[in-house]
Amino acid sequence: MNEFENIVDVDGLAPEEAARLRRVHELLVEAGPPPDLPPALEHPAELVEAEVIEFPLLPPRRWAVAAVAAAALALVGLGGGYLLGHAHAKSATFAAQRVVSMQGKGSLAALRIGSHDKAGNWPMELVVSGLPTQQNPRSYYELWLTKNGKPVAPCGSFRVNSKNTTVRLSVPYSFSRFDGWVVTAQPADARSIGPVVLKT
Amino acid sequence: MTSDGELIQRAAGGDRSAFEDLYRRYARPVFGLALRRLGDRGRAEDAVQETFASIWRSAGSYKPDRGPGAPWLYAVARNAIVDRARSRTEVPADIPDSPTREPGPSDTAEQGWVAWRVHRALEELPEREREVIALAYWSGLSQSEVAEFLDIPLGTVKTRTRSALAHLADLLGEELA
Repeated sequence: MNEFENIVDVDGLAPEEAARLRRVHELLVEAGPPPDLPPALEHPAELVEAEVIEFPLLPPRRWAVAAVAAAALALVGLGGGYLLGHAHAKSATFAAQRVVSMQGKGSLAALRIGSHDKAGNWPMELVVSGLPTQQNPRSYYELWLTKNGKPVAPCGSFRVNSKNTTVRLSVPYSFSRFDGWVVTAQPADARSIGPVVLKT
Repeated sequence: MTSDGELIQRAAGGDRSAFEDLYRRYARPVFGLALRRLGDRGRAEDAVQETFASIWRSAGSYKPDRGPGAPWLYAVARNAIVDRARSRTEVPADIPDSPTREPGPSDTAEQGWVAWRVHRALEELPEREREVIALAYWSGLSQSEVAEFLDIPLGTVKTRTRSALAHLADLLGEELA
């Protein structure tokens, strides 16, 4: 039924105009129907301003570096927060309330933290850039909360396989008991905490 | 109507309403492109989110002197969708014994661009014209059945269809060349 003549009445049209409409007809047939938008994507949500958390234990020189990194990464959180803040969000998505920046040698990370649920679970999304890919399939990276600068509470493991990696995590801790975050590189068969590769 | 390029530039300056206008114009084309490439609605939804996060982040890199906004937005969307496709752990495919008749990457890219432009243009049509196009092209109804379905005269359906195609022709100017 998608014949041009069946759909468009070209009586009285100049040949050039009829040819122009026929070309549009061909494009419509080629494009196919536009998809129905799922409810979660129908309306843009409000932007969620993320609070950038700064840790007071940084030495003065690192404050400047961290401030620049935090500013850049807060934008990541803002964009993500916008998109993840849909009212009809899926279970894996959340609106960022805070963004924590971390840095290492040639690497950066932004940790977006949402509001905790009734049970006290904090949804988090970690965006890591620049960490080397692990060659050993059993090695991995681990995110920790620190106390007195030392990793004490594990917050999740992940591996990287591209320049930028995004992982979603959840932790049940009260953050006020800790003073920062680190990421360690855990070698295969690690029985102890590996070297710190990113820190706040 | 504000151009896509102007909206991108305003979004680069932190204008949220401009960003929301871009979202309204392009959410459906991005979702359509993602569905074509990923074949999964859930992953396509994620790709839409990632696309608009990228647009918000990188709007400052758009250079109006290098071209209009639509191709730039298409490139951002395509990159986000490709990244999403790569993130899936795929089983290595067997090498086929004979050349496939499936469309190659360039054909697929061309089809994606055409769909992108057409779906974007459809968003600009008045609702009653968009409705008649959808029914005429994708519902399987004849023009007489469309008239019956909409409870309007057949002549009105024909007039409206022709008017909609003319509007689309104006919106798709460069695609018709």
